[in-house]
Amino acid sequence: MKLIRTRREKLVFEISLSEKRLLFDVLKLYPLISATHHRLTKSARTAKHDENQKLLEESLAAQREENRKNVRAMLDEPGHFKEMSSGFQLTLSGPEIEWLLQVLNDVRVGSWIALGSPDPESGKKILFNEKLLPHFRTMELAGAFEMVFLDALSGH
Amino acid sequence: MAATATPEVRPAIRRDEKTDSSTDLEPGYLVICWNDPVNLMDYVTHVFQIVFGWQRQKAEVHMLQVHKQGKSVLARESMEKAEFYVHQLQKYSLHATMERDEA
Repeated sequence: MKLIRTRREKLVFEISLSEKRLLFDVLKLYPLISATHHRLTKSARTAKHDENQKLLEESLAAQREENRKNVRAMLDEPGHFKEMSSGFQLTLSGPEIEWLLQVLNDVRVGSWIALGSPDPESGKKILFNEKLLPHFRTMELAGAFEMVFLDALSGH
Repeated sequence: MAATATPEVRPAIRRDEKTDSSTDLEPGYLVICWNDPVNLMDYVTHVFQIVFGWQRQKAEVHMLQVHKQGKSVLARESMEKAEFYVHQLQKYSLHATMERDEA
């Protein structure tokens, strides 16, 4: 998958059939992070903490629903991907890339959590086994697609 | 004309629990992004640019601070604005929280 041109503030990517299948495999997993994963504060010493934590969770749930609709639309509407001789052309606007980044990173972080939140720097290594291997694959795939979009946005 | 004595009525002073206290409106809350080994450095830089409207250079400084020092204070805001920023950062699955500024 690569950026081929920028047209009227939209980015046009070329993507092969196998890459498209991999992207769809990742998108279909959204969302992976649980609704209660994020905390508003570590200390719980802010005023109205419980009320505000609940509001945060509701707000994130609404955002997740919006992203889920966007994912569904991308997966269900073949018009997003224009067929070419060498694969497909995918045209995305800035806001579309932003929700795609949110979705991809949710899947990446969710896979990392499923792997036991490994952290090589603190000595918490990934325990490879058949059950965990798909999570590792998904985490790496989501990261690879993120980098394609980030490189395209930064003009690389 | 004779003056009539009217009883002086003073309004009762009642503290409204629902009214924001002055501390909520003061910039006494820190928006902090914490390090984790999963978020890509370029991704974190991009999110800082989007959420705070920063130039890439400033976003990179904070990203590197997160990476090397374990956390970076991204903003000092009122409670409401700090909540808004934390929500924006968490939408992108970054590890962000707001804490009272004890300094």
